[in-house]
Amino acid sequence: MLNTIAYGLTIGGILYIISIGLSLTFGTMRIVNFAHGFIYTIGAYLLITTLPILRENFILAALATVLAVIPISYVIERFIIRKLYGVSIDYAIIATYAVVLIGVDLIKWIWGASPIPLSDPIGIDVTIFSVTIPLYRLIIIILSFVIFIALTIFFRKTMVGKIVVAALEDKDAVRSLGINVDKYFAYVFIIGSCLAALGGVLYAPITSVHPYMGMTVLLISFAVVLVGGLGNIKGTFVSAFVLGLIMAITGRFWGPAAETMVFIVMGIILIFKPIEA
Amino acid sequence: MNRKWRQGNLKGGNGLIGQTRKSLLDLAIITASFFAVLPLFGINRTTDFIIFCIYVLGFNLLYGYMGRLSFGHMLYLGVGAYTITIFAEHISKNPFFALIASICAGALIGVIIGPIVIRTTGACFALINLAFNQVGYFLALVALSRWTGGEDGMSAYFNKIFLFDFGKKSVIFGFCLFSLLLTYFILKKLLSSPYGILIKSIKENEVRVKFLGYDTFRYKWITFVISTAISSFAGALSILNYGYVTPSFIDPTRAVEVIFATLIGGAGSLYGALIGGVAYMAISNYLASYLSRWEMFLGFALLIVVFRFRKGIWGYIQDRFTKQTERMMR
Repeated sequence: MLNTIAYGLTIGGILYIISIGLSLTFGTMRIVNFAHGFIYTIGAYLLITTLPILRENFILAALATVLAVIPISYVIERFIIRKLYGVSIDYAIIATYAVVLIGVDLIKWIWGASPIPLSDPIGIDVTIFSVTIPLYRLIIIILSFVIFIALTIFFRKTMVGKIVVAALEDKDAVRSLGINVDKYFAYVFIIGSCLAALGGVLYAPITSVHPYMGMTVLLISFAVVLVGGLGNIKGTFVSAFVLGLIMAITGRFWGPAAETMVFIVMGIILIFKPIEA
Repeated sequence: MNRKWRQGNLKGGNGLIGQTRKSLLDLAIITASFFAVLPLFGINRTTDFIIFCIYVLGFNLLYGYMGRLSFGHMLYLGVGAYTITIFAEHISKNPFFALIASICAGALIGVIIGPIVIRTTGACFALINLAFNQVGYFLALVALSRWTGGEDGMSAYFNKIFLFDFGKKSVIFGFCLFSLLLTYFILKKLLSSPYGILIKSIKENEVRVKFLGYDTFRYKWITFVISTAISSFAGALSILNYGYVTPSFIDPTRAVEVIFATLIGGAGSLYGALIGGVAYMAISNYLASYLSRWEMFLGFALLIVVFRFRKGIWGYIQDRFTKQTERMMR
C-alpha cells in the first residue's frame, strides 16, 4: 500500500507540472487550451531526439527540450491564442484542437506513429521507510515540490507574477492601470508550455512515447484544473496530488479503471460546485 | 438582429398552410439532392452520409441553436449503437423494436445526465460531456465487455419484416432517407414553434429569458434529451447499415468530427447541418485516400473556419443571397 502511495505521489507530481500551465491559461485568458497536450507530447519527442545528440545526458537533454519549446509555444501564442481573446470559448476549444490535429500529424510525419520506449535514466532504487522506489520517481516528486515553491515565490515576489495574479482577479482593472495584460499572459503561456514539456520529458521514461500520448494526460489535467479551481495555484497543487493518489489506488485494485475514476471524481465535484466559465 | 426578427415575422405570417408547404418543399429538395449525389458517391457511402447528417442535426440542435458545445457527443451515438446491438442479440431481432429501444435509451441517458451537465456552460459543459464520454468508452471497452464484446465489438442480425429487409442496401438507403426527412421535419416544426424561439434566446442571453419568467432549466433539459435521442437514433441506424458495433462508435477522440461538420456547414441552421455533414464525410472519405496527411489538412481547415469563415458554407451562401437581393431591390 505504501508503494501505491509513493506511485500516486509520482503521478501527482507530474500532473501538477503539466496542469499548472493549463490552469493559468484557463484562469487568465479563459481559454481551454487543447494545444497544451501537444506541447507535452512534443516535449517527450524532442527528448528522444536530443538524447543521442547530447551523449545520453538526461539533464542536458531535458534542458535543451524545455528551451526548444519556447519558440514553438511562442508561435502558438502569437498566431492562435492571441487571436482568441474575448472570442466565444467554443471557438477557442476548436482552434486549439486544430493545433493538436496539425501537431500530432507533424509528429507522425517526423518520428513515425509507432511507440518509442525509453529506459529509466538513473536506474537506481532507494529505500525510504521500508518502501523501495526508483530514485527517478523520488526526484520527480521533489522536483514538483520545488516547482511549486518556485512558482509561489514567483507569483508573490516578482512584478510579472504580481501582475498575473492581479489579472486573474480582475483583468479590466489591471488593464485600466495602463499595463499591457496580453504581454504578461504571453509570458504565462510560455512558462506553462515549458512546464508541460518538462512534464512530457519526465513522464517519457515511465511510459512509452507515442503521438497520442498527450490526449489522455490532457483530459486528466483538465480534471485537475477543474477540481482545483481555475487559475488557483495552490488548489491545482492539492488536486493534482489527490487525483494522482486516486489514480494509483484505483489502479492497484482494477487497472483499467484508474483514469475513469478521475473523471468520476471530477463529475461528482462539478455537480456540487459548478464552475462558471 | 432586429432586421432578422422582422424578416422572420414576415415569413411566419403566411400561416400554417404556407409553412407546411414550405417544409414539404424543403423535404423535396433534400430528397432530390441526395438522389443527385447518389451516382457520385455510390449507395453505401450516401447511406453513410445520410446517417451522419441525422447525427449532425442532433448535435446542431444543442450547439447551433442553444449554444452548448458538447465535446463528448460520441457517447450518445454509442449508446444508440450498443443498445440496438444488444437488443437484437438478447431480446428481439425485430429491427423496428430495436430502433425504438435505442431511441428510448438515448433519451433516457439524456434524462439522467441532463440535470448534471445542463447547469454548466461553455468550457465546463464541453469538458463534463467529455468526461462522461470517457466513462462510457471505458464501460463499453472494458467494464461491460461481456455484453459489448470489448475491443472486438459484435455483430447484429435483424429479421425481415414485411418488405423491410435490412440486408438490402437499397432498403437501408430508403429507410435512412425517410428517417432523415422525418428528423428534419420534426426539428423544423419544433424550431419554428415558441419553444424554438426560446432556446435561441437562451443562446443569446439566458439571464434575460429567466427574467421573463421562463424556467430555462427545463427547456435546456428538454433540448438536451432531444439531442441525445436523435444522436442515438443515428447510432442505431449506422448499426443497421454496418451490421456490427465496435468501441469506435463511442470513442471520445472522434467527437471532433461532428463539431467540424457543424461548423463547416454553418452552426444554427438545419440546411447548414446537412451541407456540413455531407461536406465533412466527403472530405474524410476521399481526402484520406488522396492525401496521407489528411489530419493536418483537417486542422488547417478548422483554423480557417474559426478565423475567417465562421458562418460556414450555408451562412456564406445566405450572405451572398441576401446581398444580391438587396442589390436587386435597389
